Amino acid sequence: MTDSKYFTTTKKGEIFELKAELNSDKKEKKKEAVKKVIASMTVGKDVSALFPDVVNCMQTDNLELKKLVYLYLMNYAKSQPDMAIMAVNTFVKDCEDPNPLIRALAVRTMGCIRVDKITEYLCEPLRKCLKDEDPYVRKTAAVCVAKLHDINAQLVEDQGFLDTLKDLISDSNPMVVANAVAALSEIAESHPSSNLLDLNPQSINKLLTALNECTEWGQIFILDCLANYTPKDDREAQSICERVTPRLSHANSAVVLSAVKVLMKFMEMLSKDLDYYGTLLKKLAPPLVTLLSAEPELQYVALRNINLIVQKRPEILKHEMKVFFVKYNDPIYVKLEKLDIMIRLASQANIAQVLAELKEYATEVDVDFVRKAVRAIGRCAIKVEQSAERCVSTLLDLIQTKVNYVVQEAIVVIKDIFRKYPNKYESVIATLCENLDSLDEPEARAAMIWIVGEYAERIDNADELLESFLEGFHDESTQVQLQLLTAIVKLFLKKPTETQELVQQVLSLATQDSDNPDLRDRGYIYWRLLSTDPVAAKEVVLAEKPLISEETDLIEPTLLDELICYIGTLASVYHKPPSAFVEGGRGVVHKSLPPRTASNESVESPETAPAGAPSNEQPDVIPTQGDLLGDLLNLDLGPPVSGPPLATSSVQMGAVDLLGGGLDSLIGGPNFVAPPAAAVPANLGAPMGSGLSDLFDLTSGVGTLSGSYVAPKAVWLPAMKAKGLEISGTFTRQVGSISMDLQLTNKALQVMTDFAIQFNRNSFGLAPAAPLQVHAPLSPNQSVEISLPLNTVGSVMKMEPLNNLQVAVKNNIDVFYFSTLYPLHILFVEDGKMDRQMFLATWKDIPNENEAQFQIRDCPLNAEAVSSRLQSSNIFTVAKRNVEGQDMLYQSLKLTNGIWVLAELRIQPGNPNFTDLELSLKCRAPEVSQHVYQAYETILKN
Amino acid sequence: MISQFFILSSKGDPLIYKDFRGDSGGRDVAELFYRKLTGLPGDESPVVMHHDDRHFIHIRHSGLYLVATTSENISPFSLLELLSRLATLLGDYCGSLGEGTISRNVALVYELLDEVLDYGYVQTTSTEMLRNFIQTEAVVSKPFSLFDLSSVGLFGAETQQSKVAPSSAASRPVLSSRTDQSQKNEVFLDVVERLSVLIASNGSLLKVDVQGEIRLKSFLPSGSEMRIGLTEEFCVGKSELRGYGPGIRVDEVSFHSSVHLDEFESHRILRLQPPQGELTVMRYQLSDDLPSPLPFRLFPSVQWDRGSGRLQVYLKLRCDLPPKSLSQELSSPEQKAELGEGALRWDLPRVQGGSQLSALFQMDVPGLPGPPGQGPSTSAPPLGLGPASLSFELPRHTCSGLQVRFLRLAFRPCGNANPHKWVRHLSHSDAYVIRI
Repeated sequence: MTDSKYFTTTKKGEIFELKAELNSDKKEKKKEAVKKVIASMTVGKDVSALFPDVVNCMQTDNLELKKLVYLYLMNYAKSQPDMAIMAVNTFVKDCEDPNPLIRALAVRTMGCIRVDKITEYLCEPLRKCLKDEDPYVRKTAAVCVAKLHDINAQLVEDQGFLDTLKDLISDSNPMVVANAVAALSEIAESHPSSNLLDLNPQSINKLLTALNECTEWGQIFILDCLANYTPKDDREAQSICERVTPRLSHANSAVVLSAVKVLMKFMEMLSKDLDYYGTLLKKLAPPLVTLLSAEPELQYVALRNINLIVQKRPEILKHEMKVFFVKYNDPIYVKLEKLDIMIRLASQANIAQVLAELKEYATEVDVDFVRKAVRAIGRCAIKVEQSAERCVSTLLDLIQTKVNYVVQEAIVVIKDIFRKYPNKYESVIATLCENLDSLDEPEARAAMIWIVGEYAERIDNADELLESFLEGFHDESTQVQLQLLTAIVKLFLKKPTETQELVQQVLSLATQDSDNPDLRDRGYIYWRLLSTDPVAAKEVVLAEKPLISEETDLIEPTLLDELICYIGTLASVYHKPPSAFVEGGRGVVHKSLPPRTASNESVESPETAPAGAPSNEQPDVIPTQGDLLGDLLNLDLGPPVSGPPLATSSVQMGAVDLLGGGLDSLIGGPNFVAPPAAAVPANLGAPMGSGLSDLFDLTSGVGTLSGSYVAPKAVWLPAMKAKGLEISGTFTRQVGSISMDLQLTNKALQVMTDFAIQFNRNSFGLAPAAPLQVHAPLSPNQSVEISLPLNTVGSVMKMEPLNNLQVAVKNNIDVFYFSTLYPLHILFVEDGKMDRQMFLATWKDIPNENEAQFQIRDCPLNAEAVSSRLQSSNIFTVAKRNVEGQDMLYQSLKLTNGIWVLAELRIQPGNPNFTDLELSLKCRAPEVSQHVYQAYETILKN
Repeated sequence: MISQFFILSSKGDPLIYKDFRGDSGGRDVAELFYRKLTGLPGDESPVVMHHDDRHFIHIRHSGLYLVATTSENISPFSLLELLSRLATLLGDYCGSLGEGTISRNVALVYELLDEVLDYGYVQTTSTEMLRNFIQTEAVVSKPFSLFDLSSVGLFGAETQQSKVAPSSAASRPVLSSRTDQSQKNEVFLDVVERLSVLIASNGSLLKVDVQGEIRLKSFLPSGSEMRIGLTEEFCVGKSELRGYGPGIRVDEVSFHSSVHLDEFESHRILRLQPPQGELTVMRYQLSDDLPSPLPFRLFPSVQWDRGSGRLQVYLKLRCDLPPKSLSQELSSPEQKAELGEGALRWDLPRVQGGSQLSALFQMDVPGLPGPPGQGPSTSAPPLGLGPASLSFELPRHTCSGLQVRFLRLAFRPCGNANPHKWVRHLSHSDAYVIRI
């Protein structure tokens, strides 16, 4: 047998020759021929023409030959589906073969033939194989279910294979269990809602038992599956941790990391005071350290994971700084990761050691690495305040080496150090200036120019230095140009007398000779600032800068928590959530760490609280300050009722300005962490109107069908005040749209034309949504009825009273002004019904000072009538209950600008002596309460 | 779940291509991988690469690229482990791993892959377990002589040694064909330690750590029991005390799952029934606290005359090993020194224990004076002079002091010959760096 027998070049009749050999009588010859075919297949030759001949060899007792034929089939079945059907009979027959190897082989191969037609033949054999007596066949069949599911999910469900698969989790053979778990996990991933992998303490226990028995690869499946489970309390978490911990010393790094993932996740549930917590922390360090002695590829992947772990729990590895020291022969990607971790672990205790190392790295030969090492020194200075001085002197030492790229990098980081510790290390500026000439990288030049500009008053020849940069202004990169412009303006503001010429020069360079819009704009801004108000310019340009944050490169905490759930996966290498790189839909279920439970510590555990009482913990529904801010912004931006949101920043700013002090009073103070309100409705368990009865309520409501109460028209502008034009009107709200119904009457002697209307800015941004359209000229003594649609996206200004609206109406005669008060209920939006839990939480959340009490006198209605009337005006009853013969209604409404108002209405039915209703209103903007009360009264009394 | 697996030659030609999940892409994926790999910027890691939503993970072994792809968020550790197991497996079944052996055994490789991975799930990587399923026999290029003992070296050890003295004994399939009755009973047991040392310019020891492993390659029939006796003073962890002497102490030990440890506590005996093939019996590591002195000390001194650009490097090397031991012959037959790739290389064929060697190198490094330009690293001036790095190999020596006392086989072959047992100890440098 010669070496390259299978790879001889294609001769003309090769296929023909193979065909003859395949049809030979001799088994050996056949076998060799199939091998040749497979070799050709591998190098990319098309041997699909031999399909029938190869399939003919399938019926053989020789296992080796059979395997070879199956191998060929898997490759070509897809391109020749009709031919593949020819093989089906043999497959089905082989699934019944006495030899388990052949049974498994057949079912495995059939699953790999991704031809839809074959699947229907696959079902029966698969069903048998799933219950086969041989574990090798069962474990192959388990995987086959996953294969089939990928081709035809519906079929798998219809045939009940999923249930069989679930049963296999309790199989006696650990290999079968592992494959069943893997298959189920994958199927479950494509149906996130289905409860396929029903993890409960019993099934977890089974998995933990199988964990000890199965192969290392099976252990990985099982551990990954365990990581998806959320233990019910810290005791269960601890007991799982205890059983997983032995995996940490496994030789297979994948097993180790999967175990680390489980532990890191469940640790979140353990109390830090627990002895076990400390023990666990100690146990996590050695396996992670061990990984660093593996091959560079594994090291790299391990380091990326350690980077996450260090950010989440630095205490695990805080004593292991040395293992992250860079080895001379580490690949560069390993070196850079180690460097990053070293900085993350740097603390006051070990900073001396770290700096000494970094300084050594800075003298190595690899330029990229040296640069990163210099940067790292700067990051240490910013991170560990006590070390800043030492870092600066290390950097100065490095600058003394005069190695070009080291100097430049050092200057860049010194700039950052100046930002963090202003006015502390100016003494080094002289040294920096010595190196001015050698800087040729834009970043370094820009950094140097920034330093000169920032400390211009302490550098005697600052003007000369900057002037020297100015010579080649147009050849510099944008970064340097911008920096130079700013620096010279700073210099001018500090030393105005000597530098006037310089600043003129740079401004003209920037504004007249540059094509770069950023540069030009910045130039103009400075120019105008300087020419109009130098004092203001000083305040702007020389303003104190915010300190740079300690660590800018930390992963954002929620992302970090998510990534911790993905330890030991690709996500942990990319440091991105899987949704960012896995094809949509699969595996993008967001994971989060379990909350810490402290069931055995808290004095009042939820179970001991009286039944039915509202639970104290509903963190998810309490609106945060951010939400409130959103609410406020809505004030400016207008509600989503109609019209495009005006999201430009200028509009926002303007609106805030206009609101002025009113804004603060409208929020009612930012600190609303109020003590539990005394008037918290303690029990909202009373039956509530279902959606259906709501509907009936609506129809049985007040006269106006599906619209809020409309007051009769009132005269707003008497004729005598408006040269004969009389305007009366009212406001309506119907199915979400507000309108102003006007009646214009001409009481003058001349014809009126050219009507137009405009609103002044008002508290809720009411504005005409369309121009005022009076089609025909208005003759004397004639009236016209107009409905003017309104929206709430106009400019906002707080009015006194809040619901005041100033209107200007123009006609051919003159412009007339009048003001009117609009009832607040036209602003009550249709989706103002709050969820009960939300209501409860919000009610508690709003401080008691914001509660306002009113009495609505002489209103002899019962709860149902009140509720339905209010509902037609978009005041919704969230809950109702009866306390001591009084009906309590809990109601919510929302204004167009997103402000919620919560109400408690007390009714005493059946008592003719007490027809007063008591109304308590709670709102974050207490000013509106008065007007809401008026709205209540208006609605209920009419 | 692995989508595809392929083996590429060093030039990027696909030798083996297997698709497990019917993903699209086909063979172009292999080409895509090679293009991506060769086009990668210097400081980016090639370990995990992705293109759209296909992720590539690869290792290089014996000049071949073993690549796995996936489109899901799975464990890169399991892929890396799997690839290195596959490398071992292919070695076990086909003899050595190489372009030639792979292309001669395409059918066998595919058969193996089918048993190892089903639908991208790893089933088993145990040579032993797979034996039950594999039908194809390996095609071996040339007959080998078992008695070619002169060239018996360490199998698999990635050392300088293995480059010069490839072991032919180890490069045959573990699973000799069923028809071959002339099978030889041999066991190789190696204690290999890798030494990383970092010495500061003032001579103080900054860091030292030793990573050791005990590796076994067995050609005996599977399931034959053997017992490995380690130095009795061997202790694990900082606190344990054993024997009367200072003890052989390591920080961490992990064992292969097939090792029985019932006699380990009392007598430091590992009992196992190894399958045929390669196996890492035990891994250990220790850091900071070496029981013996370091094997080598290097005392460098550097003088630089800025004016003339002349650089003088004076190196004094002292070997602190016992006089009778020799460090292993390195690749060059005689001492020589050469300059290249920004480094000065001094090769020593062998160093006698307890001896001391010194050398003076004078180099004219022109272009150094004046403002340093951003040139290649060779022109790094003295203040940026990199560290000195030593690489060496010490036969019959372990830095930790760990020794194999005995290797006993319970197995008695039915034939005539007693099994051959080869126990070897070796230390070599991983990163032995002295800063200047």
